[in-house]
Amino acid sequence: MMKLFLGVLALPALLLPLACFLYIIVQALPALNWELIVGSNTAGNVFADAASAGHGLWSQISGSLLMMFLACLLAAPIALSIALFHALWASPRQQRVLMILLQVLQGIPPIVYGLCGLILLVHLLHWGISLAAGGVILSVVILPLLSSNAIHALQRIPIEQTEAAKALGLSSGMIITRVWLPAAWSGMLTGLLLAMARALSETAPILFTATVFSGITWPDSIFSPVTSLQTHIFYLAQEGSNQHAVDMAWASAAVLLTLVIFFSLSARFLRRYEESV
Amino acid sequence: MSVHIHTIKEQVFDTVSEPAYVNIESVSLSLSEKIILKDVSFSLPATGISSLIGPSGAGKSSLLRCLTSLYDNWQGTILVAGTNTRAWLGGEDDLRRHIGLISQKPAVFPASIYDNVIFGLSRKERKQDQSSRVEQCLKQAALWDEVKERLHSPANTLSVGQQQRLCLARALALEPKVLLLDEPTASLDPRSKQLIEASLHDLAKNMPVLCVTHDLEQAQRLQGQVIFMCDGKIIETASANDFFQHPERLETREFLRWSVCDCD
Repeated sequence: MMKLFLGVLALPALLLPLACFLYIIVQALPALNWELIVGSNTAGNVFADAASAGHGLWSQISGSLLMMFLACLLAAPIALSIALFHALWASPRQQRVLMILLQVLQGIPPIVYGLCGLILLVHLLHWGISLAAGGVILSVVILPLLSSNAIHALQRIPIEQTEAAKALGLSSGMIITRVWLPAAWSGMLTGLLLAMARALSETAPILFTATVFSGITWPDSIFSPVTSLQTHIFYLAQEGSNQHAVDMAWASAAVLLTLVIFFSLSARFLRRYEESV
Repeated sequence: MSVHIHTIKEQVFDTVSEPAYVNIESVSLSLSEKIILKDVSFSLPATGISSLIGPSGAGKSSLLRCLTSLYDNWQGTILVAGTNTRAWLGGEDDLRRHIGLISQKPAVFPASIYDNVIFGLSRKERKQDQSSRVEQCLKQAALWDEVKERLHSPANTLSVGQQQRLCLARALALEPKVLLLDEPTASLDPRSKQLIEASLHDLAKNMPVLCVTHDLEQAQRLQGQVIFMCDGKIIETASANDFFQHPERLETREFLRWSVCDCD
């Protein structure tokens, strides 16, 4: 009886995401085609007919992926360093403070990070609206998630293995490279994939710092602006009266959702692999 | 000092006349403001087995961790081969290669049996063919016959008893000059226990072996020196025969009879 009751309570949690996903796919179907995904926005007018005008989402997809990779590239080594500091040198008190700090950072609204990025990177450092500014701000957004995952991945290594390695006279560096990283890589990669999904989902931090609506197919340099799927949806959705723009927004949402689900499911499979080893 | 009539086996492990290789002098340790070791002093002869016995929480494992500098906030002096471990040339890591430590719970690395044996060697040594060293160490740990056909199988496919002997072989591959074992047979079947004890007897011919054990019968079988600890203090140190047949201290007699110690 209790099982049935709890099952009924849990049902919306299962059905709502599925319903949302199906609704987005159905709404996106009129505009979804291969040309839309691989084609570039070369004509500059995205409100015209997509296929005939050579409009596609490739620039937005590549912009989103570029920012995601840059963010991960910046955040991953810092997260690893934080996790190693936590495991090797931090006192119990420092460990507690560090975990609280990471939780607080995770709770800060992403728009606040975006605002900080706009003031500090775009204006004060004169980076302008750029891939670099977006990547840095996204890396700050995903850093707490990545760090927490790396810390937990290291904590899951049996203490006996670390003690055994120490007893064999292995230095801290050798323990990290020969015991910890081989044991924790799948957990850390899971965290990285989740962070990738998170970076792809974020809109607010890059809205002010990295993206423009159109006119960019591929950034000239790291200090050039980019287009992204997230902000593309935001701009297109504001054109509610233009049916083609709305269709394009749904199609962009479907592509973005697919990418996010891809990274999340990869993380999920990796976690299952990790648990089975 | 007492003179006994020994069997050949006992002669090998007579610790009384041996010069000391490890000297522990007034070692004290506190962890989180709790006193773990109080003024502990004893020595290990250059060869032979010493059994460290005592109730749970007596500080036996902590003492082993002090000896290998896994704890570094202890006070007192530990001399190994006449050198203060605090001033060990080559640092803590080198000291730990000099003093092999085998813990209670076997911890094999997710690699082959062969790779586990050579795990502690330097990168250069690991790249060279170490087959003869692996064979020798596995033989010393009484594991060779059981694994010689599957040296490249994952080590975690071994039984717990075999894993414990693999840990012993792994420690021996570093050619330690002292061997410390923290209840090495606590969770093992009688056969594995017997094999490990036989290995220890062989190893103790060439190096000091300090074995922490809860098992009083095992301490009797191991012979050599028995060190009885309770509540962070050394209560009595004697040869195995004297300790079990003529214990001097009341606490020792109580412990031998009821396995409890009230030494406050």
